[in-house]
Amino acid sequence: MATDAAVEAGNTKMSRTKGIRIFKWSLLSPLIILALFLLPIFALQLYFSFHSWTIYLSTWWDAEYVGFEMFQEVFTDKRFFWAMGRSFLFAGVSTVGCFIFGLALALLMYRPFMGQAFFYIIFLLPMLTVPIVLTYAADMLLYRQGPINGILSFITGMDMRFTWLANPNYAIFTIIMIEIWNWTPFTFIIMLAGLSSLPHEPVEAARILGANRLQIFLEIQIPLLRPVIFLALILRFLEAMAEFPKTWGLLQGGPGSATETIPIYLYITTWQAFDVSKGAAMSYIIMLIMIVIIFAAIRILRHEKSSLDALYEAPAAGERE
Amino acid sequence: MKRKLRKWRFPAFRYTVLITWALIASFPIFWIFSTSFKPDHEWFAWPPVYWSQNATMNNYNMVWGNPTTEKELTQSYTSGKAVKLESVPLNKAWVALGNSLLTSLIATFFSVSFGTLLAYGVSRYQILSEVRMFQLLVLRMIPPIVIAAPITLYYSWIHLMDSVTGLVIVYFITTLPYSVWMTKSFIDEVPREMEQAAEILGAGRWQTIWEVILPLVRSGIVATFLFILILTWSEYLLSFLLSKVDVVTLPVQLSKYEGSTEGRVYGHQAALAVGITLPLMIIGIFIRKHLVRGFSFGMVKR
Repeated sequence: MATDAAVEAGNTKMSRTKGIRIFKWSLLSPLIILALFLLPIFALQLYFSFHSWTIYLSTWWDAEYVGFEMFQEVFTDKRFFWAMGRSFLFAGVSTVGCFIFGLALALLMYRPFMGQAFFYIIFLLPMLTVPIVLTYAADMLLYRQGPINGILSFITGMDMRFTWLANPNYAIFTIIMIEIWNWTPFTFIIMLAGLSSLPHEPVEAARILGANRLQIFLEIQIPLLRPVIFLALILRFLEAMAEFPKTWGLLQGGPGSATETIPIYLYITTWQAFDVSKGAAMSYIIMLIMIVIIFAAIRILRHEKSSLDALYEAPAAGERE
Repeated sequence: MKRKLRKWRFPAFRYTVLITWALIASFPIFWIFSTSFKPDHEWFAWPPVYWSQNATMNNYNMVWGNPTTEKELTQSYTSGKAVKLESVPLNKAWVALGNSLLTSLIATFFSVSFGTLLAYGVSRYQILSEVRMFQLLVLRMIPPIVIAAPITLYYSWIHLMDSVTGLVIVYFITTLPYSVWMTKSFIDEVPREMEQAAEILGAGRWQTIWEVILPLVRSGIVATFLFILILTWSEYLLSFLLSKVDVVTLPVQLSKYEGSTEGRVYGHQAALAVGITLPLMIIGIFIRKHLVRGFSFGMVKR
């Protein structure tokens, strides 16, 4: 009898693992089919980066094989490295800007006060403005006779006619400013959620031990918030690296090439100069760089997440005893 | 006296900063609204007109006008008076709205329904390890421009260029990571006992998902749906590159105004912009409590 029951239990266990396996593959197979469907994209990219082809050639399959020439061309292209530098400048500065504003607002708002819900909704709005809508809104606002200059004139009492966009020296900072306006809500809501989910005990303990507000902030809240801070910085940086609508819609990489970031340069190469092969080689290089950055980011995120999970699981286990 | 002052200092500081930022955050949005009601001579006026004294619905009629206004406009156009309007074709806005709704709703539906199933599998049976889950994010994080050129060539080869299907496929792929992660955060909160009970009562796996899990996470799925809808609705680059003529979505339609020959038509742009962004703001405010889940990947504990 006992062996029968054991066999039966084994059988149900077998059918259970089998059932799970069927379930697993019925979910994963559509993904695999999709991946197979999209595989030619990467094959095409590979083909074009090793063959010299522009739109002026009739059919793409009689392009000439050029080996690594295209990659060589990209690596000797000064404009590419400038675009790379600008992309990092844009992403870096806007990330830090968003983070500072978002954290400051979150610090002012994480404890309940009158009007909290109201301010939360207002602060959310920039993120819900479609980027391309913001592009044209910025165009209207930063126009030389636009309202921003109007307000500045009103405040200073002088006739300010600042050229926000047409000046190559600070056009990129104007774009960065717009990006910060657009995405501060993103870091704000992440930091706010992080701050309000912090355990109260360490802060209380520190206060009783006589720590001042700055000490509490630097030595208790910031270390506890580290996973959330990394999350906000990483996501924002990666999104900013890919930013296209605002930079393109406002200035098309101009004036000159003052705001020509990587996505813009790639677009100009492929869709305006029709240099598809060079574009393909360039996008391969960028893809590799981005994948390295993303995997480093994933590593950091996973590390932070596991330490966070450990932190939250430990006291629960203690309570149960 | 001094103590009283100190008590008031922090709230005063807080409200000053918050109100300043609230003004900064809302001013551009206010400006779009106010411009959309301005008659055309006030678009470029100096000093700027903040709120028009003679507000008009004209811009809305131009952009969102129904066929009858189109008729009137063509008449005035033939009389030679309204040449300015010619480069902004009428009622394209409605076509674009239709395309936008179609692509974003279909893509969001597939992304969320598939994402939910996958999230269930991950949450209960670990069908994807945590490393794989994070690697899924690559789909979202790679700048889309990097693969846009080969996609256009591939799509024109298999006749998916300028089609709803083509856009839906790329939107599905780029939003899948977020829908999996977000729905997973909701499913993780459902106690396993419910499913065990269902299993003991003889429910199959799909039946358990359909009749136990889904009703419990319904509000979470709605929130995810709306969150993904925000992403697909505001997507610009891919629809700009993959649909030139037939499936023009609203963001692309908006950018077409810029190319008009007679200069900038701020009022019309603003009227269209309000139509694009207002639904999004309503949705966003509606799901404001859940927004942070979309990108917290289980890192914000509650």
